[in-house]
Amino acid sequence: MIRKIFSLLAIFSLAATVFAGTEPKIEVPLRFDRYYDYDDVVKALEVLHEAYPDLTKLESIGESEEGLKIYALTINNKKTGAEHDKPGVWVDGNIHGNEIQAGEVCLYYAYMLLTKYGTNEQVTKAVDSNVHYIIPVVNVDGRNHFFKDAHTPSSSRSIRVPKDDDGDGLFDEDAPDDLDGDGSICQMRIKDPNGNYKADPEDPRIMVRVKPGEKGEYTILGSEGIDNDGDGKFNEDAEGYLDPNRNWGFHWQPPYVQRGAGNFPFSGVGIKAVDAFAAKHPNIIVNFSFHNSGGMWLRVPADNTTILPASDITAYDVIGKEAIKITPGYVYMSSFDLYPTFGDSDGQMFFVHGSYTFVGELFMREEQQTYKEKSDKPAAGGNTSRAERDREQMKFNDNVVQGELYKDWHPYNHPVYGEIEIGGWVKMSSRLPHPFMLPDLVHRNASVVLLAANETPKVEMEVFEVKDLDNNLKRIRVRLENKNGLSTMTAQAVNDKLYTIDHLKVTGAKVIAGGKINDYRLDQVSYKEHKPEVQFFAIPGHSSAEYEFIVQGKGEVKLEYISQKAGNTSTSVTL
Amino acid sequence: MVKKLLYLCFSGMLIFMSSGLKAQSDTGFGKYHTNREIQQLLKGFSSGNAKLHTIAESPGGEPITVLEIGANLSDVPAIFVGANFEGDAPLASEGALFLAKMLLDSTAYTKDVKWYIMPQPNPDAAAVYFSALKTGQTTNQFKINNDGDEAIGEDGPDDLNGDGLITQMRIKSIEGSYIVSDSDARLMKKADKQKGERGTYKVLTEGIDNDKDGKYNEDAVGGINVGIGFPHLFPYENKDAGLFAGQTPEVYGILRFIYDRPEIAMVYTLGNSNFCLVPPKGGRKGDANLDRIKIPRRYASMLNADASKTYTMDEAKELFKTVVPEGTEVTTSLVASYLSLGPALNPLEDDLVFYKKYAEDYKKYLKGKDFSTETLDPTPAKDGSFELWAYYHLGVPSFSMRLFSVPKVKEAESDESADSKEKEKKAAPAKKDESGDKEKALLAYSESELDGAGFVAWTKVDHPDFDEVEVGGFAPYIETTPKAEKIESLAATQLPWLLHLSTELPDFAIADKKVTDMGGGIYKLELYVANNGALPYPISMGQRNGQPAPVIVTLEGDMELLEGKLRTPVGAIGANQVKKYTWLLKANKNKSITAGIESAVFTDVVEQIKIGG
Repeated sequence: MIRKIFSLLAIFSLAATVFAGTEPKIEVPLRFDRYYDYDDVVKALEVLHEAYPDLTKLESIGESEEGLKIYALTINNKKTGAEHDKPGVWVDGNIHGNEIQAGEVCLYYAYMLLTKYGTNEQVTKAVDSNVHYIIPVVNVDGRNHFFKDAHTPSSSRSIRVPKDDDGDGLFDEDAPDDLDGDGSICQMRIKDPNGNYKADPEDPRIMVRVKPGEKGEYTILGSEGIDNDGDGKFNEDAEGYLDPNRNWGFHWQPPYVQRGAGNFPFSGVGIKAVDAFAAKHPNIIVNFSFHNSGGMWLRVPADNTTILPASDITAYDVIGKEAIKITPGYVYMSSFDLYPTFGDSDGQMFFVHGSYTFVGELFMREEQQTYKEKSDKPAAGGNTSRAERDREQMKFNDNVVQGELYKDWHPYNHPVYGEIEIGGWVKMSSRLPHPFMLPDLVHRNASVVLLAANETPKVEMEVFEVKDLDNNLKRIRVRLENKNGLSTMTAQAVNDKLYTIDHLKVTGAKVIAGGKINDYRLDQVSYKEHKPEVQFFAIPGHSSAEYEFIVQGKGEVKLEYISQKAGNTSTSVTL
Repeated sequence: MVKKLLYLCFSGMLIFMSSGLKAQSDTGFGKYHTNREIQQLLKGFSSGNAKLHTIAESPGGEPITVLEIGANLSDVPAIFVGANFEGDAPLASEGALFLAKMLLDSTAYTKDVKWYIMPQPNPDAAAVYFSALKTGQTTNQFKINNDGDEAIGEDGPDDLNGDGLITQMRIKSIEGSYIVSDSDARLMKKADKQKGERGTYKVLTEGIDNDKDGKYNEDAVGGINVGIGFPHLFPYENKDAGLFAGQTPEVYGILRFIYDRPEIAMVYTLGNSNFCLVPPKGGRKGDANLDRIKIPRRYASMLNADASKTYTMDEAKELFKTVVPEGTEVTTSLVASYLSLGPALNPLEDDLVFYKKYAEDYKKYLKGKDFSTETLDPTPAKDGSFELWAYYHLGVPSFSMRLFSVPKVKEAESDESADSKEKEKKAAPAKKDESGDKEKALLAYSESELDGAGFVAWTKVDHPDFDEVEVGGFAPYIETTPKAEKIESLAATQLPWLLHLSTELPDFAIADKKVTDMGGGIYKLELYVANNGALPYPISMGQRNGQPAPVIVTLEGDMELLEGKLRTPVGAIGANQVKKYTWLLKANKNKSITAGIESAVFTDVVEQIKIGG
């Protein structure tokens, strides 16, 4: 029901058929000037895997409510190391079934890594030093139905778990109906001298509210449909609604607190499978989840009950502050600053799996689908009236995409209302860039992921001093440096003791004392009281740490830094 | 040696076989049953009208099972009974088995109600009661690294005095914060600096620092406590709860099983809290005040609201009505969810009315049975517990019962004069010595009922890290687990109350009907829908969360409705309340139409109504 508030404020819909045409064959090189339906995405993953069998693994990680497979493509160069010894980069998309370009970004990221491997230095580095887990479509049922059925740009978002939205004891029995059979759910209007809408004098396709006292021409009847269940309401119980991004475990709240949460955490079987896949790969250190729309890079937290450690915000900033330049116009902020949510994937990935998580909200309709002269004046938005923006969008539709995004009002004989008109923005409009704009969108956003991959922690270690002390004791001093921007472990995970804390371990000699060097020139060391041979600490991005060990013994002494996400680094000295 | 091994195996088999036979032949409640015996009993119970469901497997590999009694019934409401979620109250598991036995032995309470009974949701923890080393553990075998070091489960408690029980260590230490209680030398108490006391002992759980990190028993084997793993007020700060609600498969399996069965109209929990006697507690801060709602700035302009003002729920509903599409019903739960007003934290007032009434009734019932309630208070339901979740998330009546509590020490036994006691009360009202009183009651109980076995006398032990260490203190399970010979009478006295409560469920009927001929083939139909039960539907919390399935009045037949709908939700209906529904319809004389009451919870009602006859 609430989503209707949004759909009222937002825009309306039309035909999928506009972009269909004859189905091109799916082969490498992949094309990114079109949208892939669910079957196409699977095929695209298969051809990528076939073309690069040594670098990829393709697996089904679980099934959806309707039994479709959820695929993950893992990209790892086995020659440079085992999967779990490398920092993992996770990219998923399309958790909301209608947010389909998110799937294209994931596909493009995989495609870019594989096709540019060996020729582009940055890509080669990312493929050799990281492992990449790519799940282009999380809500497979949602995407499948979005293409196959008539929808608005905002429907088919839910997981396919039936819910009695209207409290009549029946489930999903009154969805909108594609009355004119064009593949989109648009709007219905009826001529009505007492109506509160009239046609815009400059573009009669646009409906504007009449001013108080002004005579109206139309009443807007709502989304295309009939009263399927005869309860006097239209389209009030469509599929779901169970929001797949409110159904995760961390800080989950029930549906009466947050609509669409589902009855309990991970009640969606596909979402549960995706979380289980994340849990199986404890090396994941950075996550991207792509959505539409609005042009945003969101970081945790998503609700106001948590305060992030400052060093984690610093780590986020390394990527967030570059991301907004790679994708001009996007903003970078915490998810909570947009609005509070509970039980979303970013909280789960950060607080449960210990990974820096970003949500990418792809595409800004008003800024990117423009129709105006270049101006030196400060960007519009504030000054432009709603009507002017509507007219601009309409001109963009007419002259830039040849009318493919808007369906003009046309008569229809409705079983209840009689003579009405149906028209409006089509399914593939509004939240999705027109396919001609897609290559730019997928490339820029995949570039942010690549930048993040190249910022995953890389630890170097050097013994910078071995000094003889009395009584056959030796003092070993070692420096560890994280060359990249992300910490070896989030500060939050260290605080929570979420898993084995990254640690430096000395073997091969008896360690009498050991600890962190606060100032090596002044010999200031904080010795650890118990078990000095193991020192637990993370190394934040672009920083170093120095440790000292006073040892007794002869032969080879091994120093190893063991990090669940950054991999292991070791060195040794011979005494 | 080999001979000895063989002998051991053989005798072990004998024990196993005989216990198996015993379990089959005798559901006698003269002993506590192991996981294996419980499952055998349940299998024995499941035939004909009773069906056993396996709904999950614990991390330790034990099955979680639910016995459905009334499997042949359909279209009836159901009651779910869970027991011993924390695994430290074997008596609760016995209670669930006893209840199942009562229901199987008589059909009185299974005619029109189905029962789902789950005696052992936390078998990993429950098994510890029967193990050679009794720890009182509540966590399962889920692998959790509690201390963030290299190993998992490497520093649990150790039985230093070899008595098979994990109790406490008191360590002579200059850094200690405890002293020996002056009222009883067996008890330790915190030194009170304000009284000039200085600690001389450290008190720790019995054990050594197995991983030599300077901490004692900080990473025992396991796990997650199933009893605090549910999503209402999930305790994120407590590692024993896991990282999120339903992380451990027992909890997830239970959540799914229950939501797959919307007919579950009431939930019972046998364990450590006792909602039958003490209604769920309120007084928690941070509850949304539905009479003073703030509209966040980001919604204020959309709703034409003033972000600096507060609104009542009714006012907020009016704001929403102007923006939702026509026909959308603006409910409390819609407004609360949209404005993120947050979860309910305290039991709702209307629900406390029935909780209080039943608590009074239950006290009278127990008095009639000559059963003393002069015992230590039941443990309040914990955050993340099953019984709180059932109330707050399912929105159904949730009754918990604690079958055993240690008797209070009678005031007369106190050696203080009534006069000085009175003074003390005035000086330091309540609380002050509550824990001391409890410990005294436990000691008295240990002596009078357990021949002193409830308290391990302090004895010196060798410890690798400390010079002067004594092990002693209360034995695990003493508070929850009476001698096995008490099981039967405790269960037989208290559990019938839960059977009685099952008769209080809502019950729907068409109480009356009236057809009025308005002329011209137009008729007015009036139906009176009655809830003949003693409980409202839904309860107030169920109205707030919108979770209980709706009850719908239905009409079917050859007619044209001029006013009214074919399906009309009844909405909330009180106990013993009647609601009237009216339709205006056009039909041929002597036609019959079908009226009904339909829901996923209660038995459907169907009635033929003759028009104009």
